[in-house]
Amino acid sequence: MIRLGHILQNTIAGIAFLLILGPTIVVVLVSFSSAETFTFPPPGLSLRWFVEFFQADNMTSAFLFSMRVGATSAVCATVLATLAARFVVRQRGVTSGLLQSLFTAPLVFPAIILGLALLLFYRTINFGGPGGLILAHVLIGMPYAFRLVLASLQSFNQTLEEAAQSLGAGPFRTFFLVTLPIIWPGVLSGGLFAFIVSFGELNVALFLTGPGYNTLPIEIFGYLQFPGRQLIIAAASTLQVAMIIVLALTIERLVGLARIGKS
Amino acid sequence: MPSSSIAADGSPLGDLLRQLRSWSLVALPILFFLIFFAGPLLYLFVVSLLEPSQTELYGTNVTLQNYAKVLGDEFYLRIIQRTLLVGALVTGIALLIAYPVAMAIARMTPRWRIIAMIALMFPLMLSNVVRAYGWIAVLGRQGVVNTVLTQAEIIDAPLALLYSIEAVVLGLMTILLPYMIISIANSLTGLDRSYAEAAQSLGAGPLRTFIHVTWPLSSPGVAAGMQLVFFLTLSAYVTIALLGGPRFSLLVSMVYRSAMAFQWTFSAALAFVLLGVALGVGALIMLVLRPGRVQGRG
Amino acid sequence: MAAGEIDVRLENVSKSFDRVEAVKDVSVDIPRGQFFSLLGPSGCGKTTTLRLVAGFEHPSAGAIYIRGAAVTRVPPYRRDYSMVFQNFALFPHLTVAENVAFGLRMRRVPGPERARRAREALAMVKLEGLAERYPRQLSGGQQQRVALARALVVQPAVLLLDEPLGALDKKLREEMQVELRELQHRLGTTTLFVTHDQEEALTMSDRIAIMRDGVIEQIGQPREVYERPRTEFVASFLGVSNFFDGRITAAANGSATVDLGFGQAVLSHRGTVGEAVRFAVRPEKVRLGQISTGGFAAQVREIVYRGVTTHIYLDCHGNEVIVFLQNASSDALAWRIGDAVAFSWERDSAVVLDRG
Repeated sequence: MIRLGHILQNTIAGIAFLLILGPTIVVVLVSFSSAETFTFPPPGLSLRWFVEFFQADNMTSAFLFSMRVGATSAVCATVLATLAARFVVRQRGVTSGLLQSLFTAPLVFPAIILGLALLLFYRTINFGGPGGLILAHVLIGMPYAFRLVLASLQSFNQTLEEAAQSLGAGPFRTFFLVTLPIIWPGVLSGGLFAFIVSFGELNVALFLTGPGYNTLPIEIFGYLQFPGRQLIIAAASTLQVAMIIVLALTIERLVGLARIGKS
Repeated sequence: MPSSSIAADGSPLGDLLRQLRSWSLVALPILFFLIFFAGPLLYLFVVSLLEPSQTELYGTNVTLQNYAKVLGDEFYLRIIQRTLLVGALVTGIALLIAYPVAMAIARMTPRWRIIAMIALMFPLMLSNVVRAYGWIAVLGRQGVVNTVLTQAEIIDAPLALLYSIEAVVLGLMTILLPYMIISIANSLTGLDRSYAEAAQSLGAGPLRTFIHVTWPLSSPGVAAGMQLVFFLTLSAYVTIALLGGPRFSLLVSMVYRSAMAFQWTFSAALAFVLLGVALGVGALIMLVLRPGRVQGRG
Repeated sequence: MAAGEIDVRLENVSKSFDRVEAVKDVSVDIPRGQFFSLLGPSGCGKTTTLRLVAGFEHPSAGAIYIRGAAVTRVPPYRRDYSMVFQNFALFPHLTVAENVAFGLRMRRVPGPERARRAREALAMVKLEGLAERYPRQLSGGQQQRVALARALVVQPAVLLLDEPLGALDKKLREEMQVELRELQHRLGTTTLFVTHDQEEALTMSDRIAIMRDGVIEQIGQPREVYERPRTEFVASFLGVSNFFDGRITAAANGSATVDLGFGQAVLSHRGTVGEAVRFAVRPEKVRLGQISTGGFAAQVREIVYRGVTTHIYLDCHGNEVIVFLQNASSDALAWRIGDAVAFSWERDSAVVLDRG
């Protein structure tokens, strides 16, 4: 009876993984297709669509823009997250809980509403452009970085900081010479995670991008709304898959991806 | 050694100054959150209560007409209904599939569990547009399904599988499934096995152990997963647009469209109705599942 | 004694955490070169007191001076002390040599001199050759010495030690106690040592303060505190004591006769007739003899052989009296359970305790 239950569970698990990963695998396979239009399975292998991608101005500029936005917002998000986590880890009880809720709030808040709110806000004060998007992504990426840095600090032995202070190191030197060198994997992972989140982010970018400064997902979305020449999107997707694999493996080596499991 | 010039020890002023100085560390993040998170949201809420204007962003009079328009018009009510339906379907089906998968994961050895978790987290890091495109590749006219069915000569002409509520539910469900699985799996792996063993020692078979022990104790993970999946469904404009087509509108589509049409006050009201739906369903989930009765980890 | 000779002074220092008073109105002077121990059970406030001197806690009231300078409001990294932590707190990302040189680096000592002094410090704790290792590659005892070297190399005015030997096993701990003491003597560094182990405190200190519930119950040299405890707590925390209660029936010329119920004892004590007294007698000061030799009657209830000593538990009219006898020099081994005996003590062995 229990064995039957286990078999059932495993079967459903297999189906689930197929449903989750299948479509993406199809896309990656098709991106190497030599055909002119979408055919599955691909008749032959070719890199033509990757070439097309890199030759398409709007695609490459969107890709570079996404990288720029991602890197900038990730760095800022990580700095803010580290400041916040450093403070929160020293607090007890109510303050700690409140601050943690504040700094992780953007995670659960519907991004669409955030995007709209920021758009209106920027309009009112006549601000906007790439800067506006970057700041929005700092807000969105910060909770992820915060959680990772906080986890690192929680397993950090605080008496090390006291030892440094007892030897004459002030707060700054203590942080840069003792704390940071020990928690840097958590900090770096936080930054990488914030970058990944920013790169793939859609809902806020929908409102805050515009002609001349589109992120890659927005550019892809635009493309997909009209039929035709969609294989270039497959190439773009595969590139993102490759990038995410590299970054995810890096994070795994640094802090162990599975530990971040909780959403 | 330098000594301080501040007077009496333990003075309240000295303590206060020291407290303030220690908070200076976190001042920047808090300020950032106030200016770019809390501030704009409050602003949007206020705007939702103002009358629309043709010339300015919004008028000056406070009014409930925006909300009245949303909640009074049958058109919008039907859209809200459809949104709730899609949300319920996506969340419900995800739960049904995720729970057995989570149980399977909880049974794995730590090494395989980590691999499974990574395999689940990986697609979450891809942009939703790429995953939606994956379903276009599978369900489209020249997609995998149609190709296979045509080649197997089960059908003559390709089926229009996209641009339907089924496609939207399927796409969203699979995109958000990892969240649900991870949430429930975390809950289940955190469960102390001795609870189930105690139940069995008291005479409960596998089914009753599940009903009376496993399920209630996993309710925090289930509740968190359901809330997350539902919230994300509400926001998933791109997926809905791509898989549902231009004539398939949910509440989020209305928010986007009215904003692009510069109907600020109306889109603000729509946004907060969306938020209200999210919070309402979230509260409902908490009420039904009552995860609060599970205090602390297993 | 000039004021400059007092290296550490706590003046009416109190510290509360959320309405719990951890340290209550503590005043202590530690002269230069002294090895001073704070002894007490866990929760008595000794660690809090140490952390107040270190600057990791701020006093709710009172003032703290290091070498005459008021440091109450000075942050830890600007006070002239160094500290050895209970879990050693060696920086895991630095080598042993870099760990030891850290304090010198903070004081902007140039590189070559830093390296030289670090090597000397390591030699002083007998760890030359381990300079390039990382803390995780060392045993507990070795890590302890590195922590010590790191603290001593900066030649601090005061050395603070927070139960530094707690993590070591018994044999190693006893070795380190002796080494630590020798080192301290040689360098002459004023030392504040916190421990809950009374044997350790007695072995190593020039002066001991026994703390309970945030208050210092008694300060004095080890011998003085041990031989003449002032309160019941001190008498029972340091070693073992027998307690007797009685009422003074006669008092004259510094001597008091006390009625114990089962007999009378004469104590060196200035008291008044009718006054209730409680006094303590150390088990090793109690003499045992046959009933005929005089003393208080009792029966042997239990005998525990302890190698160097034998512990004999007597029952005296329902009260338990403990006697320690040296196996080598007495007839400790002659007694049997159930024997009727008489016990007594020399007049000055009894210490009258403060009330309350």
